[in-house]
Amino acid sequence: MKQITLLILLIISVLMGKSQSNNLPPVDKSPMDMCYYPNNYPVLKIQDKATEPAVARVIYSRPQKNGRLIFGDLVEYGKVWRLGANEATEIEFFRSVKIGDKKVEKGRYTLYAIPAEDTWTIILNKDNDTWGAFKYDEQKDVLRTSVPVQKLTEGVEALAMTFEKSDSGCNLIIAWDNIKASLPINLK
Amino acid sequence: MIKLASIFVICCIFFISCTDRNENNSDQTKKKSDTTIVHAPSANPYAAIDLSPMDMSYFPVNYSQKKMTHDITTPPVMRVIYSRPHRQGRTIFGNLLKYGERWRLGANEASEIEFFQNVTIQDKKVNAGRYIIYCTPFQDKWTIILNNDLYTWGLKIDSTKDLMQFDIPVKKTSVDFEYFTMVFQPITNGAELVMAWDDTEGRLPINF
Repeated sequence: MKQITLLILLIISVLMGKSQSNNLPPVDKSPMDMCYYPNNYPVLKIQDKATEPAVARVIYSRPQKNGRLIFGDLVEYGKVWRLGANEATEIEFFRSVKIGDKKVEKGRYTLYAIPAEDTWTIILNKDNDTWGAFKYDEQKDVLRTSVPVQKLTEGVEALAMTFEKSDSGCNLIIAWDNIKASLPINLK
Repeated sequence: MIKLASIFVICCIFFISCTDRNENNSDQTKKKSDTTIVHAPSANPYAAIDLSPMDMSYFPVNYSQKKMTHDITTPPVMRVIYSRPHRQGRTIFGNLLKYGERWRLGANEASEIEFFQNVTIQDKKVNAGRYIIYCTPFQDKWTIILNNDLYTWGLKIDSTKDLMQFDIPVKKTSVDFEYFTMVFQPITNGAELVMAWDDTEGRLPINF
């Protein structure tokens, strides 16, 4: 039954990819998405349930696993990875925060990672509005920090990012395939 | 079970080839039957894929690719971030979107336009910055509104934070748009923000 569901989804995605037949942009194969901290901030806001202002948001595109081996293969260890697809992934802080021991000023940054088997190096870079990591310029790094990764028991088909609350602020969770990384963001 | 699956695949391949043929035909045979009804994308334990995916358009067009290939070194002029609902066989204007009622020009999060420099729209100066953009559609014109209520959800934009509004004509398109589409196209002294869905489009000229 599971296989059939997968097949149906596959076919739907093929059909979706075909549907816009003019010279304006089709829907991306790796759709863009956005996440806020606090999570679902825009929804909380219209429900008058937001108890604090928006702190951060990430805009990223979501490649699918599509049966491929991701880490150590499609995404090579030791090389800069764009943490997404298409337009470079961006993180915006609406106030200054601390990552590791470093203060990060309010503003918009491009987010990259260098994955290795046990840890990822997360990079904040100030060269915004670019595409992927193809012209990544280390000179424009704002910070690099190393975070541990965790194996997941349940696979994640589409690259996913979300925030979770922590004692010192929040963590940006990045999950794809069988790997989850967590970037601590200090809001104290 | 596998047999059942193969039959389904064959049916689908047949369906795909049929839609292909329709697309190649002239406008006469262009039906809204190309629409696919999608109920729910695959599950994801952290963040489900949106039914109406988000997208981003820059001006200059494809700015980030051009920056990557070094074909452009100046900063971008503007960008829009919006979600792309799809028609799914529905009649959009005057039906799903009622004339005279507010339309969020997207889905999910309110659509956002950012000007990286000051621009002029219909002889009014618009300061560099980030705005929510939405629309009130009428049969013969759209009113496009820039609003200050950032980081909100499209269904409940606070109109007390409206900053400016602009009336633009609408026209029928020669092709149908399954997915709502926003894109910039260059004009003399600026660019137009093209907003197209179903068989209708509006164009907001932006000068800089």
